[in-house]
Amino acid sequence: MSHESPASRKDLLDIASLEREEIEFLLETAKPFKDLVSRSVKMVPTLRGRTVLNLFYEPSTRTRSSFEIAAKRLSADVINFTVSTSSVTKGESVLDTIETLQAMRADYLVVRHQMAGIPSFVAKHTGASVLNAGDGYHAHPTQALLDAYTLREIYPDLTGKRVVICGDILHSRVARSTSTILEKLGAEVGLLGPGSLVPRHCAKRFKVFRTWDEVFAWEPDVVYLLRVQFERQKAQFFPGVSEYHREFGVTDERLETIQERGLYVMHPGPINRGVELTDDVTRYERCLINQQVENGIPTRMAAMYWLKPETADRR
Amino acid sequence: MILFKNAQIASEQTGPLPRADVLVEGEKIRAVGQNIEPPEGAEAQVIDCEGKILLPGLFDMHVHFRDPGRGDKETIKTGSEAAINGGVTGVLMMPNTTPAIDSGAGVQALLDNAARNARIRVLTSGCITKGQEGKDLAGIAGMKSKGVFLITDDGNPITDELVLRRAMDYAKNFELLVGTQCETPSLAGDGAMNEGAASYSLGIPGMPAISEEICLDRNLRIAQHTGAHIHIHGLSTACGMETVARFKNEGVKVSCEVAPHHLLFNEGDIGDYDTHFKTNPPLRTAEDNARLLQGLKEGIFDVIATNHAPHTQSDKNQDFTSAPFGITGLETALVSLYERFIKTGEFGWDVLVRRYSSEPRKLAKLDPVVIEEGATAEFVLFDPEGCTKFTKKFMRSKSSNTPFLDREVAGMVEMVVFNGEILLER
Repeated sequence: MSHESPASRKDLLDIASLEREEIEFLLETAKPFKDLVSRSVKMVPTLRGRTVLNLFYEPSTRTRSSFEIAAKRLSADVINFTVSTSSVTKGESVLDTIETLQAMRADYLVVRHQMAGIPSFVAKHTGASVLNAGDGYHAHPTQALLDAYTLREIYPDLTGKRVVICGDILHSRVARSTSTILEKLGAEVGLLGPGSLVPRHCAKRFKVFRTWDEVFAWEPDVVYLLRVQFERQKAQFFPGVSEYHREFGVTDERLETIQERGLYVMHPGPINRGVELTDDVTRYERCLINQQVENGIPTRMAAMYWLKPETADRR
Repeated sequence: MILFKNAQIASEQTGPLPRADVLVEGEKIRAVGQNIEPPEGAEAQVIDCEGKILLPGLFDMHVHFRDPGRGDKETIKTGSEAAINGGVTGVLMMPNTTPAIDSGAGVQALLDNAARNARIRVLTSGCITKGQEGKDLAGIAGMKSKGVFLITDDGNPITDELVLRRAMDYAKNFELLVGTQCETPSLAGDGAMNEGAASYSLGIPGMPAISEEICLDRNLRIAQHTGAHIHIHGLSTACGMETVARFKNEGVKVSCEVAPHHLLFNEGDIGDYDTHFKTNPPLRTAEDNARLLQGLKEGIFDVIATNHAPHTQSDKNQDFTSAPFGITGLETALVSLYERFIKTGEFGWDVLVRRYSSEPRKLAKLDPVVIEEGATAEFVLFDPEGCTKFTKKFMRSKSSNTPFLDREVAGMVEMVVFNGEILLER
């Protein structure tokens, strides 16, 4: 790697605590890792002999696979530790699990959990590097990195670019992390969603829109749609799915405006068809969903490359 | 006999502290004045108090001693020793023990326990409803006959207005204070901290300020209607404080607590999910800190009370959502209030003595504790030049779930005297 490397950290827990130069470094580092894909041997020996443990307390196929592929391309050994996801596990018992897993001498723990702060809690109790793969409503830093990477492929400089994030802001860790990384990279962020799902304090920090008309009048460059998190809603926040689609989704009519203006569309997946967007949106050539998934691998490789565990042999 | 030489005497009087010698004989203060010498032939321990302050023993009317039921967190013995360590010589226990204190027999058993195990005055409150379930009234007359002056369901707000109204109507016969901690459960939901910018960033469910304000408003109206004396526990919002001031002006019998942590800390201090800052009512905003302090200076708050809420290390060594609410306060209150507000001139010793010694005793219908000739000797010798490091070793509470853990704070409780006996000497 040719660039000046900022001092490495032990853990990647959120975006808010990262300095801009650290974000830049991670995005730059991801580039050569992405180029690997075009080679016949898609592996580098960086983490040979190291163990990455995927610890997912919430169902996930995409993120877990993405981390797994990223780790394998760095030549690490990968263990997928499946945890019962039928009930919420408290920090206390997570800690018991971690203590058991210490015996496996993992160097990297990839943690996803339903409750905010669990990865941070785990990080305080282990020498292994912890990568937050999503915790409650709190943070999803590797999603933010892959989002930023995807946009940087289009706009090398995000300064002044306008991104509207649309949907369930209240329950979305993606909204929190991605809005934060975009702000740090100089973009302007606007929010659109049902009033019951946009915390009132957000208006102090972001532009908050009431309707798509207001959004289009703002002239955004990118429309970022969030998945409606039915599973995280304990009460009714809006009257129904069809009303949501009509008022806050990208309908075919809104897609026309988006196409006319050449706006980019993003979504962290998995999508709810007929809710956040329609089928036609997924076929739109400036819909970046597949690029986002693809870029998850090199950005996660960059994160693992950068983090330095404090496991026994390094002390 | 003990002779305290050249102390500065704190009281409810404003202005510079007068200097005097204080002579203690037996349980009583025999003389206060200049150049006092022990009587001819009498043997006296002389304590040089140059530069130090004598203040009346403090009274904390909101503590959880977890006794009976959770001796792993605290007991009457360890809790009262923690009080002494912080210069507190009288406490009012909350009744949310296991079992809850909801009958005269429960009160009696607890007071018997205190008589055996506590070296200071330990009082208890009683429940409003049986088992704090918010339904049937507890044995109110029986508890009153054992000395209870305040009934409360504390952390379990009574949701049924009719139950609260009946309790207030009934409490009037017995001249009881009806204590309420104000929270609207449906609005507070599963919140673990104040709802605001910090809860959004941390992704932790929040409790909005209106949860407190709406319940407070409701409870004050019921008190106004019934004519009962309502006592508000641990008010945390500036808006709620203004509501209290308004009802006071309208002549409603209302008294109100503020906890030191609501003056000293706010949601921003939670930082990286530090569970030592998880408490209910939650820490609010920096603006609330400033306005509550102003309210304390203006006399809107009647008393300072810590809501000393001990929890074990493993309880608090949790993710933020799962950890229980509560922080300890008995050992840190005096020193931290001194460092932050008295030393800096925000308010004088008179405010501390009035709000953390005299007024709570007045509410409890106890004689005031004063440093005057003929009074019972119950006071604290405080060294403003000293400093206190709140290590686990320092603390006498069984629990150390305080934001001050391992912090060094200016000021030191050097000696505590209760009924003429030295309970603590450093």
